[in-house]
Amino acid sequence: MIHFLFVPSLRIGIIGASVTLVLLAGCSRPDSNKALTIAVNAGVEGSALKAAAREWGELRNTRIEVVELPYANLFEKESLDLQSRTGAYDVIMLDDPWFPKLVADGGLTPLPREPDGDFLASTLAVCRSAANFYALPYVGNSQLFFYRKDLFDRYKLGAPDHWQKVLEDGKTIGAGEKIFGYVMRAAPGNSAVTDFMPLLWAFGGDIFDPQGRPNLASPEAIDALRFMVELGKISPPGYAGFNAAEVSAQLLQGTAAMSINWPAWIAAMDDPSKSKVPGRIAFAPMPSARMPGVAELGAWLVAVPAASPHRDAAFDFIYWATDPAQMTQAALRGNPPTRRSVFQSPNLKKNFRAFPAQLAALEAARPRPRTTQWNEIENAFGVSLSQANSGAASPEEAMQRANREITAILERSK
Amino acid sequence: MTRRIPPGLIWVAPALSVLAALSIYPLLYLMKVSLTDAHGFTIAHYARLFQDRLFSVAAGQTLLYAAVALTLEFFLGLTLALLVDSLARGRALIRVGLLAPMLLPPVVAAVIWRLIYNPEFGVLNGMLRQLGVNTTSLTWTSGRTSAMLSVILVDVWQWTPFMFLLLTAGLQAIPAEPLEAARVDGAGYWQTLRDVILPLLKPVILLALLLRSMDLLRIFDQIFLLTQGGPGSATETVSLYIYRTAFRFSNFGYAAAMSFVGLLITMLAARGLLRLTVAVPAEPPCVSMRTDVIKLS
Repeated sequence: MIHFLFVPSLRIGIIGASVTLVLLAGCSRPDSNKALTIAVNAGVEGSALKAAAREWGELRNTRIEVVELPYANLFEKESLDLQSRTGAYDVIMLDDPWFPKLVADGGLTPLPREPDGDFLASTLAVCRSAANFYALPYVGNSQLFFYRKDLFDRYKLGAPDHWQKVLEDGKTIGAGEKIFGYVMRAAPGNSAVTDFMPLLWAFGGDIFDPQGRPNLASPEAIDALRFMVELGKISPPGYAGFNAAEVSAQLLQGTAAMSINWPAWIAAMDDPSKSKVPGRIAFAPMPSARMPGVAELGAWLVAVPAASPHRDAAFDFIYWATDPAQMTQAALRGNPPTRRSVFQSPNLKKNFRAFPAQLAALEAARPRPRTTQWNEIENAFGVSLSQANSGAASPEEAMQRANREITAILERSK
Repeated sequence: MTRRIPPGLIWVAPALSVLAALSIYPLLYLMKVSLTDAHGFTIAHYARLFQDRLFSVAAGQTLLYAAVALTLEFFLGLTLALLVDSLARGRALIRVGLLAPMLLPPVVAAVIWRLIYNPEFGVLNGMLRQLGVNTTSLTWTSGRTSAMLSVILVDVWQWTPFMFLLLTAGLQAIPAEPLEAARVDGAGYWQTLRDVILPLLKPVILLALLLRSMDLLRIFDQIFLLTQGGPGSATETVSLYIYRTAFRFSNFGYAAAMSFVGLLITMLAARGLLRLTVAVPAEPPCVSMRTDVIKLS
């Protein structure tokens, strides 16, 4: 069947062509020894880093492999890789509450030089453990309050700067426009906790007291949850199962008037191909209640695992991707920056109307508690919040249960 | 004096080695992890199981999920198998159509149903609104009571074809003689079904129930994608809780203890069904098989 291979001239031709192809492939292919594997979040937060990685790969003639993982799987993949020291990833993108756990496991490499002072202090603080920095802040996410400016103007309502006003204005707009006055996410876990934290802080509560003891059974915390349930009455049915995508879909479709959201969604809100209400949504700092409004910090960081086989190249990439010029490029792609100079760039300010609000929110943003047990705490807390929002438990029961479970988690970790 | 190794042992040694490497060693390792913490040997993980409210909730819900889904899938699968078996024409085409949901990856099925169940933009509420139904309270996967029903319906939609497939094969294998004898004796349809078909189908029914129940007790993917165990813990199952404990909370010891207990429950359920299968009396000897054998193409 393959007798033609025994024809000498044909055999020489085939061998010659193969050798030529291999040589050509070798010339055009980046040096495989310098290949970088980067784990990124599969979502709006990861898109700028993916684009930056491709550019850096071309610039340094290095092969880039981007492993894109949904939020729910990104932590477990990274955590397993870091614990088992497999060296599967050279650069990882991580949500800031994961940082204490990944550092405690000894999985991250300290930065070879300190980040410069142009990074916003709130975003740098979550990259540090003891005396060392282990990551650089890449996505300057801190919550913003999204609201339909056109509808607030139509009903002659001032900006929603107080939670009680949010509730009342939501009822007014909802009744007048036949849309939902508010939309939030209360799926168990990260979603419910993320949307509840600004309420908890505004009502004067917190997860832990100054001595580090769980403090969710406090009257302030219970009042905050009661208020969240009230907000639920002007939210779309089923919000107790919503995640970020569902909340953003409601805003993009013009079926809800207000919500807490991340700046990474601003570009979509202004994009006519994605939004039915482009340019009609305004962005404000968190509303206040008994205390001034505070946004939750949700910065995305970039770091180099200790087992990375290409550490030098990995550090070269993360310093390059976070320098002012590249962060400007990333901002143009819709990535919320972490550098003051980028926020204050006159050219960017002209194009990104939310930059002043973003900068103000980011400077005042509060991170989630810095504990290695955060994932377990967030899960227990989120289940209780979701139960209260779905009517399976009263706010008092939910908060007392969350407090008990968080106490047990901390006891077990001792 | 040296003892000779039995020749049979040499022949089964490769299979035993594979079994030891792939089944026995991981099980022993799982047990070791479940009995170890940072300080050494401990039974704390097993002790915690008895105090963990979420584990008992998840275990109860897993059993509920399995029992309801298994019952619905069995009765729907049997009804469909009997209906299709009684058709004179077009059986092959209907079989292929009915099997389609089973051929979809569970992830794809879950994503499709997530879109269908969306209270605002989903096709299900959209159709109900067209029919004049007020869908305000129909939140499906987000409702405290409707969430479990919604995820069970997805499982029933996807896995009833499996029941149908096995039971159809069983019906095709029933010999013609007992059916003809029943007809000659004047038995009606229901009497033939009760006294002839179902007893002869019993081994296949038990096999189908055994395979599905083992699968249902391990349910993970659909619930993970549809509800993540919520709202609250309304759809939390043991597999989901084990996954979270191991990979989100990095508590492999407790996850291993839960896995071990979950494995024991599944083995006990399977053992019960297997004993029933063994207890089934042998079929009457087949004189001639039906000729309309199952064709899937």
